[in-house]
Amino acid sequence: MNAPLVSLVTFLPLTGAVLLIFFRSGSDRAVRATALAVSLLTFALSLALFFGFDGGTGLPEFTERASWLGRGIDYHVGVDGISLFLVLLATFLTPLALLSSWRAVDHRVREFSFFMLLLETGMIGVFVSLNLFLFYVFWEAMLVPMYFLIGIWGGRRRIYATMKFVLFTMFGSLLMLVGILVLHAAYHAATGAYSLTIADLAAVPFSPTLQTWLFLAFGLAFAVKIPLFPLHTWLPDAHVEAPTAGSVLLAAVLLKMGAYGFLRLGLPLFPQAAATFAPALSILAVIGIIYGGLMALVQKDMKSLVAYSSVSHMGLVMLAVFSLNFEATEGALYQMLNHGLSTGALFLCVGILYERTHTRLIADYGGAAARMPVFAGFFLVTMLSSAGLPGLNGFVGEILCFFGIFAADKTLAILSVATVVLSAAYLLGLYRRVMYGPLKDPNDGRLRDIDGRELACLIPIIVLIVTMGLFPGTVLRKMDAAVGRYIGTVKSAPPAAPARAAPGNPDRVGQAPGVPER
Amino acid sequence: MESTMAAAPLVAVVAGALAVLFLEAFLKRKESELPAWAAVAALAAAGFFTVRSWNRGLACFGGRLSLDPLALVLMSLFVLAGMAVVLMGLKYAVRRDMNLGQFCGLLLLAVAGAMIMVSTANWLIVFLGLEVLSVASYALTGLKRNDAASSEAAAKYFLLGSFAGASFVFGLAFVYGTSGSLDLSSGLSPAGTVGLGLILIALFFKIALAPFHMWAPDVYEGAPTPVTAFLTVVPKAAGLAVLIRVVSPAVFVPVLSVVAVLTMFAGNLAALRQTSLKRMLAYSSVAHSGYLLVAVIARDAESFAFYLVAYLFMNAGAFGVLAAVTGKGIEYTALDDFAGLGRRNPWLAAGLAIFLLSLAGFPPMAGFLAKFYVFGAAVREGHIVLVVAAVLASLVSVAYYLKVIVFMYMREGDTDIVVERENPALYMVIFLCLFGTLQLGVWPGNLLTLIRLAFSVAF
Repeated sequence: MNAPLVSLVTFLPLTGAVLLIFFRSGSDRAVRATALAVSLLTFALSLALFFGFDGGTGLPEFTERASWLGRGIDYHVGVDGISLFLVLLATFLTPLALLSSWRAVDHRVREFSFFMLLLETGMIGVFVSLNLFLFYVFWEAMLVPMYFLIGIWGGRRRIYATMKFVLFTMFGSLLMLVGILVLHAAYHAATGAYSLTIADLAAVPFSPTLQTWLFLAFGLAFAVKIPLFPLHTWLPDAHVEAPTAGSVLLAAVLLKMGAYGFLRLGLPLFPQAAATFAPALSILAVIGIIYGGLMALVQKDMKSLVAYSSVSHMGLVMLAVFSLNFEATEGALYQMLNHGLSTGALFLCVGILYERTHTRLIADYGGAAARMPVFAGFFLVTMLSSAGLPGLNGFVGEILCFFGIFAADKTLAILSVATVVLSAAYLLGLYRRVMYGPLKDPNDGRLRDIDGRELACLIPIIVLIVTMGLFPGTVLRKMDAAVGRYIGTVKSAPPAAPARAAPGNPDRVGQAPGVPER
Repeated sequence: MESTMAAAPLVAVVAGALAVLFLEAFLKRKESELPAWAAVAALAAAGFFTVRSWNRGLACFGGRLSLDPLALVLMSLFVLAGMAVVLMGLKYAVRRDMNLGQFCGLLLLAVAGAMIMVSTANWLIVFLGLEVLSVASYALTGLKRNDAASSEAAAKYFLLGSFAGASFVFGLAFVYGTSGSLDLSSGLSPAGTVGLGLILIALFFKIALAPFHMWAPDVYEGAPTPVTAFLTVVPKAAGLAVLIRVVSPAVFVPVLSVVAVLTMFAGNLAALRQTSLKRMLAYSSVAHSGYLLVAVIARDAESFAFYLVAYLFMNAGAFGVLAAVTGKGIEYTALDDFAGLGRRNPWLAAGLAIFLLSLAGFPPMAGFLAKFYVFGAAVREGHIVLVVAAVLASLVSVAYYLKVIVFMYMREGDTDIVVERENPALYMVIFLCLFGTLQLGVWPGNLLTLIRLAFSVAF
């Protein structure tokens, strides 16, 4: 197939966004429908990527390359087993997020849809970029639509939240920009040629000092985005104030960019520095797991509860990433997808409740299951997926992560298992307080059960949650080769901590240890 | 190559200036737009002659006026800036009771001064250009005769500018007294270095580099908006171009680095606290001279030129939007006046938002790429600490640029702000700036090639 599929998937939303500018203001229905249609078409095209993807070599496929600015700055895109599923996650969730805000967003619909589509292009662009400069452009450009989404359609403290979000993220990424410039100069000094292609850069062994500084510069940017423990404070604010659609994409896709950054850049480009810093970062990740979980236990606001649960879950993902072995990395990737789906769905559920009662305080709810039985079912499945119930996707990811982490460091593994206990505690606590107990619905009839549109938002996610829980091989097998290659790059440098040898052969993970009974 | 054609752009501009001033004196109808179009024609002629002498290494007056690539690129920039400002001022002058003829004439003289400054390596000629530019700028600043702020700005600019001029001459005396030469590139004795320091101070003043930037916000705020757009680009570019020619003695690099860091932080931190958009942009332009100084320190003329072109577009665009927002004789520049602009004038607000995001350095706008090249050049030369300081300063700048967007899009407000309707020239300028800002951010191939080709010739 010669069609530039990756570029199409990346820029179709942008085209749609530009198209929306020409709609007359007031034609809200048409705007919504167009935006949804564009995002659905994007999803369909990204499915073509999925089915056309071979994944045997572990190298990027569907690559396109064109010279752009010269001196190593090319337009170079493609997907490999690591990025493919994150692209799919973005294209899958954007239409759902658009659909979920059909009624919730009732002013400046055209601008809203415009920024949502812009955001989609930014998200996909980050994942498909194979050139560091292009990566950075998407990484930064994506901030702008998110800034507007939170700032215009957010809650009461939206301006504070959105400024905090942008400034925190910018702080990290501007230092990454310096890192990119240094890398550009260092590559030129080492080889005499200009290149910012990620694969080229990874092939040059930089001096340990340089690696350390660069790793810190890149790592800061990613750690803010994930967010790793002491840098997480923007996240609860941004989540609480963001509109539902913004929260969904923020939690589901934007947070993954940090972890993806480590997998794609932080570790392969600077393997020695990464090995040196991995223990310290692992400890931060564990602190994040426990701290996030404990914070989630005491939240009064449903959205901030889910936000802190994200801190906790992403902590586990990062711990797995820093374990630097095959199982853990594959588990981290799988868990990223799970977290995207389940947290996205959790935010959708909270949004559904909020639309009815206009409050997010847990104390204002009670006994909602009586009024919304269908919703209760969906909410429960989502929650159990997030808590890692066997049979659902969360379990597969967590068990893979734990296998890998255990192989790397037993103490940390034992500490990190706390996430299972904590997430069960806060999620089921939330469910009990909101759905059971005495019915709190003063204005009778506000708690209607979910309608067709909301079903259409939730069903696809639930289907995926169950499918990915029962048949993880479909996804994992496409990742194997890429993850194997990745581990190969990271391990080729002398490792600092003796971790279990990477099982380079992808066959045996077809039946990964975490596959539940079928 | 010795040729009188080297002086042609300059002659075109000066002749245009004189013609415009005569025209103004004999013109019956004071609101006629004829002087403006004459000025545009003169600038177009200058542009034509500039392009014609591209890469031909022309020089005249015994090499005292030489058109090297840097000079040519900057002269084209001045021509563009001059045209944009004339078109911006077309209706503005009538509304603000400014004399259009004087405005255009002085503007052309200022452009001529800047052209002289960038196309010579002789101190005395630099001074000549600097004074022509300065005197014209003082008068331009005070053109709004009925506005006390404008007169105050002019007086302040004139007084402080004269000090800077004196310092320049004093320093020049040192240099000439010790070396017996007025060549910028000659070696210097210790006393000559003191003289060069005095000259640098004068230049810092003209470029508005910290700690000599105190005059800038008042002057930029008081001056008529199109003039502000001019003052924030052209004198800076000319002064920095002179710096880029003399910066070779390594002794000045530490000093310049300190000045650059000071300037970036002074400008950005002060801009944070402003409640007037015009004053905020004034401080932001101080900060941008700091970024440009980074390019000077790296001695990278390519990225310097690219940054200037990008800055011209985004800055002129932002001031253009400011000029479009007018009332009956009052300028609406307070941030509160912009509350809710995103709803009432979506196109204008979107334009301003893009200019501001570009100034803040968000991709895919020109400002990002400009910063990328400048900082990249500095990193290549090993000034990594300087670049870290620069990116931290631009983080501060993000806060205030976004504050304007907060007002436009995230606050509701009913103000009696009036937006210009019938002003095609102004809107054309804004549109072209918008186009330039986006095009240079996404696909700057044409300009990059042009600049790289220009500088690949020895300079």
